[in-house]
Amino acid sequence: MSAELEPDAALMLRVKQGEGTAFAALVDKYKRPVLNLVYRMLHDPTEAEDVAQNVFVQVFRSAHRYEVSAKFSTWLFTIARNLALNELRRRSRHPSESMDATRPEQDDQPLQQFEDKKAVPPPENLLHGELEQKIEQALADLPENQRTAILLCRQDEMSYEEIAKVLGCSVSATKSLIHRGRETLKHKLKPYLRSGVWSDAP
Amino acid sequence: MKDNLRCERWRELSWRRDLTPAEQAELRAWLAGHPEALAEWRTEAALNRVLDQLPDAAVPSNFTALALEAAGREAGVLSRPVRLRWLVWPGRLPWLPKAAFAAIFLGTSLLSYHEVLAFQRAQLIRSVVAIADVVSLPSPQILTNFDAIQVLDRTPPADIELLHLLK
Repeated sequence: MSAELEPDAALMLRVKQGEGTAFAALVDKYKRPVLNLVYRMLHDPTEAEDVAQNVFVQVFRSAHRYEVSAKFSTWLFTIARNLALNELRRRSRHPSESMDATRPEQDDQPLQQFEDKKAVPPPENLLHGELEQKIEQALADLPENQRTAILLCRQDEMSYEEIAKVLGCSVSATKSLIHRGRETLKHKLKPYLRSGVWSDAP
Repeated sequence: MKDNLRCERWRELSWRRDLTPAEQAELRAWLAGHPEALAEWRTEAALNRVLDQLPDAAVPSNFTALALEAAGREAGVLSRPVRLRWLVWPGRLPWLPKAAFAAIFLGTSLLSYHEVLAFQRAQLIRSVVAIADVVSLPSPQILTNFDAIQVLDRTPPADIELLHLLK
């Protein structure tokens, strides 16, 4: 029977039976995408790590409720998003500055910056570094559902239907969220994106 | 209209994954006929590359080990004997200690009430037994001629003079 199952579902059935190696395999496979999603929701590496750990504990705890009809990654990312949202709610109830949650682009910056007319164009790697910071900031500024939709969209193997399930909305609403989020990103990053460095258009 | 649909389909595909060589060739051919859309497509493609190249969050080397350890602890809690679970419950059910206290209090009160009743009943029995020993009733045989003896009082007194004469 398990030969017909997708590999993750087969692993979950083994987790259901209390098999530790199957659980370790699932953690190994999904720890990076889960941590990436949670980190980009919370912007705090320590909290993101704690929440990501909790995601997998929750998976283990709820293994008996897992139904093979649901795709494992959809279920996993739904748990991850819910726990990260809980953490954001908890944080808004008990606001406190985390020592890890520094924003490098805001540190050591003068209040006003002036363009140096004599400066030579930055080398490519510097442009990339700057763009990385800008896109992290632009992503962080997006509404949570648009940001999550865009991040899940670039997640391998996730269809629009699965992303819609994670977000709890329709497929058309999901596409609309992605479209609006991307338009905002394009608008904010236009000078960088049109620099040609990133372009690989057909 | 048809062109718009095709363009939208490529756009949605490119959001999720790189276009296949066939899809890219098709798009290139389409863009050759629609040069006004080229700049927009370049921006889309650049944004896709940027999103793909976002740096991953650092994953600690012991992440899997910690997750397994946490899950192991969870499994320990889940498989704990029922008696131990009762000790854990009050934390999750704050009303349980009060309910348990009320139940114990009620049970003790009922037990005490029954004890008092039983004690009073035993004392009554002991009292009756003691009185019965002290005041023992005469045998019922004494009362065999009770009616005849009672009637004797009501008969006229004997004629003593006549009795003497008859002697």
